[in-house]
Amino acid sequence: MQEIEWNPPENGSTYNILNEFVAPHIESFNALFDDSGLPSGDGDGRGLLSLGVEDIGERVVFDGNGKPDDGGWGNRMRIWFESPNISRPMVPDKDKHSTTRKVFPSEARERLTSYRGRMTIKLCWTDPAGERHEMPKDCGLVPIVVRSKLVRKHEEPEEFGGYFIINGNERLIRYLILPRRNHVISLLRPSFAKRGPSYTQYGVQIRCVRPDQTAVTNTLHYLSNGSAMLRFSWRKQEYVIPIMLILKALVGASDKEIFEGVMMQDYENTFLTDRVELLLRSFKMFTLKTGDQCLEYLGDKFRVVLGTPDDWANGAVGAYLIQKLVLVHLKSPRDKYRMLLFMLRKLYALVSGSCCGDNPDSPQHQEVLLPGSLYGMIIKERLEETLNQIRTNINTDVRNGVTVDFHDKKYFQKVLSKVSFDIGARLSNFLATGNLVSPTGLDLQQASGFTIVAEKLNWQRYISHFRCIHRGAFFAELKTTTVRKLLPEAWGFLCPVHTPDGTPCGLLNHLSRTCRIVTSPLNVAHIPAILATHGMSLPSTTISGTKNLVVQLDGCVIGWARPATAAQLAQNLRIWKTEGIHQISLDLEIGLVPESRGGQYPGLYLFSSRSRMMRPVKYLANGRDDQVGSFEQVYMDIACTPEEITVGVSTHVEHHPTNFLSILANLTPFSDFNQSPRNIYQCQMGKQTMGTPSTALQHRTDNKLYRLQTGQSPVVRPALHNTYAMDSFPNGTNAVVAVISYTGYDMEDAMILNKSAHERGFAYGSIYKTQVVDLKDMHGAAKSGTPTLHFGLGRTYYTKFGDKPHRCHEFLDADGLPFIGARLASGDPIAGYTDDISGRTEFVKYKGDELAYVDEVRLLGSDAGDSELQKIQVTLRITRAPVIGDKFSSRHGQKGVCSQKWPAIDMPFSESGMQPDVIINPHAFPSRMTIGMLVESMAGKAGAMHGLAQDATPFKFTEKDTAIEYFGEQLLASGYNYYGNEPMYSGITGQEFAADIYIGVVYYQRLRHMVLDKFQGRKRAGGIRFGEMERDALIAHGTSFLLQDRLMNCSDYSTAWVCRTCGSLISLGYQDISLGEVATGDNASLLQTGPGGEYCRVCRAAAQQEDERARQALAAGKEAPPPPQADVRVAISSQHVLGTSVKGGDLDVVAVPYVFRYLCAELASMGIAVSLAVQ
Amino acid sequence: MDQQNTNSNNNQPRAGFAPPVREIMEYSCADCGATNEIKSREPIRCRECGHRIMYKKRTKRMVQFEAR
Repeated sequence: MQEIEWNPPENGSTYNILNEFVAPHIESFNALFDDSGLPSGDGDGRGLLSLGVEDIGERVVFDGNGKPDDGGWGNRMRIWFESPNISRPMVPDKDKHSTTRKVFPSEARERLTSYRGRMTIKLCWTDPAGERHEMPKDCGLVPIVVRSKLVRKHEEPEEFGGYFIINGNERLIRYLILPRRNHVISLLRPSFAKRGPSYTQYGVQIRCVRPDQTAVTNTLHYLSNGSAMLRFSWRKQEYVIPIMLILKALVGASDKEIFEGVMMQDYENTFLTDRVELLLRSFKMFTLKTGDQCLEYLGDKFRVVLGTPDDWANGAVGAYLIQKLVLVHLKSPRDKYRMLLFMLRKLYALVSGSCCGDNPDSPQHQEVLLPGSLYGMIIKERLEETLNQIRTNINTDVRNGVTVDFHDKKYFQKVLSKVSFDIGARLSNFLATGNLVSPTGLDLQQASGFTIVAEKLNWQRYISHFRCIHRGAFFAELKTTTVRKLLPEAWGFLCPVHTPDGTPCGLLNHLSRTCRIVTSPLNVAHIPAILATHGMSLPSTTISGTKNLVVQLDGCVIGWARPATAAQLAQNLRIWKTEGIHQISLDLEIGLVPESRGGQYPGLYLFSSRSRMMRPVKYLANGRDDQVGSFEQVYMDIACTPEEITVGVSTHVEHHPTNFLSILANLTPFSDFNQSPRNIYQCQMGKQTMGTPSTALQHRTDNKLYRLQTGQSPVVRPALHNTYAMDSFPNGTNAVVAVISYTGYDMEDAMILNKSAHERGFAYGSIYKTQVVDLKDMHGAAKSGTPTLHFGLGRTYYTKFGDKPHRCHEFLDADGLPFIGARLASGDPIAGYTDDISGRTEFVKYKGDELAYVDEVRLLGSDAGDSELQKIQVTLRITRAPVIGDKFSSRHGQKGVCSQKWPAIDMPFSESGMQPDVIINPHAFPSRMTIGMLVESMAGKAGAMHGLAQDATPFKFTEKDTAIEYFGEQLLASGYNYYGNEPMYSGITGQEFAADIYIGVVYYQRLRHMVLDKFQGRKRAGGIRFGEMERDALIAHGTSFLLQDRLMNCSDYSTAWVCRTCGSLISLGYQDISLGEVATGDNASLLQTGPGGEYCRVCRAAAQQEDERARQALAAGKEAPPPPQADVRVAISSQHVLGTSVKGGDLDVVAVPYVFRYLCAELASMGIAVSLAVQ
Repeated sequence: MDQQNTNSNNNQPRAGFAPPVREIMEYSCADCGATNEIKSREPIRCRECGHRIMYKKRTKRMVQFEAR
């Protein structure tokens, strides 16, 4: 290992495993442009963007100059896109000086810009003669993934990319869980019944994905009259069509054909016959007989919605609808027809109870939304919208009578000038905010939260971002917790340990260490033929549905087979794929669902598509590597360890028993000795540790970085610590830890730090913060043209010598920038600039509250390097020596707060004179059961004595071969007690303790939650929050005066006018009168006001109304009705009524907390009146 | 060559104020590390490689803090 550290390879990475875990991010992005690995029959190697552009198709417009006899449309113009292309990031052509034309990610990061390349596309159109024209169009600068071609330039030595750089921030699109594509799942949802009359809770659903990775979900609803409706959505609008209409339109099937297709020889099944009969009969009301009639009917209904060319016949529009929205993963209508029949059969099976509903929350029925696929979908949609806009603009011109000449290139240019081609800006916005602005919704359940910042808080957090996978924002709001459940199906794909506690628990998961995501399509075109030669029957009308299982490949019915044959086929395929026979790829998923009573719908389902989760295991039959998917795993027997293999049952065995854990969970030493929640906590705390965020710190411009100055390699570490090169990014310090109740300052998870250890630099850290000074944003900056503000000090401040030099010279040089190493306190100048207009020199202040040192000053030029200095970036270093109140933790979920820095002379010492660095209280162990920490302590002590890096991989020890025994022997060998405890002496009295003390070496992490952050710089100058729980304590103690004083008088005490009559707090009005005067209204009536002119607007209006009513009643000779009352009444006791002596007005002054006014105003905005009863 | 052009453009006095005295400062290029003398109001660009980021050099001032 040392050898590789000393002589790293010239090109390529030392630790390839780091590239592997971000691979899906990079490869899915690469797939947009290049699919050259594609075999023929499965694609054409042009990349997803080209496929998308092809799928957009063309838009057709007419100039409206035609004669009435040819339809009146006039000249026809077709418009379409061709060959989209994104170039690598380059210096603009304006710049003539740069020696390298490429722009590197490090520049984008340091200059706080985005890493992006120019996108171009060919816009093609035809003139009335049918001649093809084309024009390249610039689509702006599109953000690009930092990626594959390793750029060794001011990066980490093992930089692996996988993220975008937006305004200097590293952002990435996170994985999202989606329903498995091209597979029919049965659903039982009570909400389906609410969709309309005769709808039931039964439905089957399939998420169909086109070759360009865009998706359409089709749902088949069961109606209580036995028929079924197909639902899909188009531009966020839902449509439902009777299934019979689609079946007939697809292949022109006769009623008999459909009957036979659904029944499949199962004439005994009266449940099925009844329903199919009803299905067929219910369609008679449409009086549509042939397939063409159905197509025409559909086309007629959907012509306006779809926006197809005007000159298309209804039949063509109907065919277009089916091609665009029904089972889009299949091309041929016959395949779609067969699949729809299968869906119908599964639906009827679900209704009859012969199969159960599938669980959409199970990873069995899930796949991953790849970042690149989402990016491609957005680009495709933007392009489609651009094309639609061009069409709309021309159509508007035609309608408005503007001269539209398709021969005239100038006219076309004029139309294009009104259309925005800037796709790059839309994508930058998407990445910067994570918000998806989309007219179609892209068949996704959420519109925001797609991107996250890859925070380099420390290395563990950083790498976790690339492995995290979210269930979807939609599920976060769900009241039920079923979606958060840890399911056995997730074994090996999602880590059971690495999920946050609290709100996102179970929704935000992390991929297991060995879980891969398939990013390239496989060669499968030859599989149906091979299966047919091995006993699969091709689809035909004579196959019995009861005796045969369906065989599907990526959601296409390729045949039928007897259950025994299907099992044989599945086994054959597995042998072929593991041994590479018949060119069957290892990533093919062979999901054999066996027959069962009321279980999952049986069949042999093969998946070859991208986005699936797969993981490596060993196939026992031939000892080869096998890749297992989340669908097939459910029906497989995979032993965890070789000892567990049951002959005749187990087919596979895990490569390693810890493979089901995520990278972080794997880094917890002896995690198998701990109670499981403690391992969850460690996964959290590992990510909050002050560690080593980066090894290229001087080239980073992050807003905030935490750095541990003297990080160490842990003595006790799992084997994977080395595999993942975690030693490059140390995350803590090996500390000598004594478990003893010693000072009384270690209660309730407090811990004591040895003062001398602290003084030698134990857990010393610093924070790097960024302050950007951009003169463009300053007051007085020129909006355009040459800048009027310049960095530098003006004449008045110029000299730094003489009797009284200006204070700014303590911090700034003559260029107006701070010198490296300047010490800044709050309010000190961080930069100075002069204003050409006013001639004055202004200073920008350092705003932080803490003392900071200038670590680096960057002068940022413009893109082309042709403008003067307008923007600087200053990296500030804030020192953070550990203080009382800072949080520390071992790697076993044992966090504690430093309560004292105890002088070394008073610390307990062992017989050899050793003192602990850290003292923790023994009470931390009994209830938490973190035995792993006790084992680590022993292992660390023995490792330190023998000079060993101890292997702490979980599941290494057994009941017979215990860890205690192993490390106890080591301790004995180095002259310590077998169990790791030692006699110790009091540092104060020098007497030996009655009990031996457990002391050893434990790796300690310093967490980033520091007391200094908790109160410094807060709004109330260092006040600590008096929260709800503290309030509860005061209530419980009955200290009402204190409560009143702290939470009211010293908080937001305020006085307010309240109306005695109506009790309103918000209806105060003032009449502009002086003392003694009286105001009068319109009809010379006396208006009641207080001495200051205050009155209640509500009551005055009510009084005037009442007055009016009384007059009218008097005129009509009737009683007046009583005025209305307020809804909410709040009693205010007399001691809070301050202005009771006020006579004349009916308002009182009361003391209320200021937030109460807000509450009243907010309630009023919702139409709720609050009435205060003043006694 | 280009340098002179930029200078003559920026030398024109604006709004009646004389341009302030230039102090030449040295910066190092973030890409190639070359030392660049950049006067006030000159473009930020490395003379050697054309890079667009400069670092401020370490100060030659005496920096002394009380160590307590």
